[in-house]
Amino acid sequence: MWAAEIPYCGTNVMPLSSPSGFCWNVKFPPEQEWIEQAVLDAIEIIWQRAQKTARSRCGDVSLARELMEVAIQKTVDRLQAGPPVAPDEAGRVLYRIFVQEARCRQNATRKLVCLGSNAELPPVAAQNPFLPVDSAIDLDVILHGEAAEVRHALLLRYSRTSWTEVATILGTTAASIRVRCNRALKRIRQRWSIHENGT
Amino acid sequence: MIYVTVDSIGKESVTKHQPFLNDDQNDTLLFEKLREHILTHYPNPEHIGCPAPEILKKLIDTPRAVGLSDLNDLHIFKCAECTRALMELRKQREQVEQNAPEV
Repeated sequence: MWAAEIPYCGTNVMPLSSPSGFCWNVKFPPEQEWIEQAVLDAIEIIWQRAQKTARSRCGDVSLARELMEVAIQKTVDRLQAGPPVAPDEAGRVLYRIFVQEARCRQNATRKLVCLGSNAELPPVAAQNPFLPVDSAIDLDVILHGEAAEVRHALLLRYSRTSWTEVATILGTTAASIRVRCNRALKRIRQRWSIHENGT
Repeated sequence: MIYVTVDSIGKESVTKHQPFLNDDQNDTLLFEKLREHILTHYPNPEHIGCPAPEILKKLIDTPRAVGLSDLNDLHIFKCAECTRALMELRKQREQVEQNAPEV
């Protein structure tokens, strides 16, 4: 069953596919090769804990990845200045910086005052020609709570894979997957006043 | 209270009013709009949180081999750079398919 292959959903932690996936954008110093290996090991060591920290401090486990990327770059910068260290020590440095980043994010979010979301606005507001309101949508809100299968299907379709192909990939039919995605599609449609064919 | 004459909001408001648009069975228009919106509103020049370029290429070439965790969950829906890269990769793939000799 496809859903069983993706055991995380919503607030659960994500498995680490490959630590190097976090580092493609990181500039490792070529003359200090040990840093790259130490950092890759450190990521593996702290990834689970980092996700829990992101969830507890920021309320969103999906922020772990971008926080981790920032923390990695800062860790590399810091390790460059000192002698070689073991992966455990690199893990401690990386986690400390990660927590700092999470705390910064937490503080920044605290300053915001949230009064509802875009998804709660009536669609008429965006259609009113007298209101030059940017009808920005918050996909996080729209897709909040959707099953992993739905999120995956929408991402595949977004990359211009047709519904038929998406259905084949997910081992179902095009009609079935569209029904599963219907709620999210409807809410996105409301934002831009796009009607389904024949409705 | 503000009063306006019928003439001032009549034809003009109708022409300015965003029309309802009909989409096809593949929801093409919907996803086009979504892409436009993300390209405009979610710049990410530092590629923070972006999956590796190979993962995006894999998403186009062998989507079955890419999971949500590889893509950093819904990151692409918040990233103009990933969206641009995906569009470019899709275009390249379509060109390759067009140029491929028919069997």
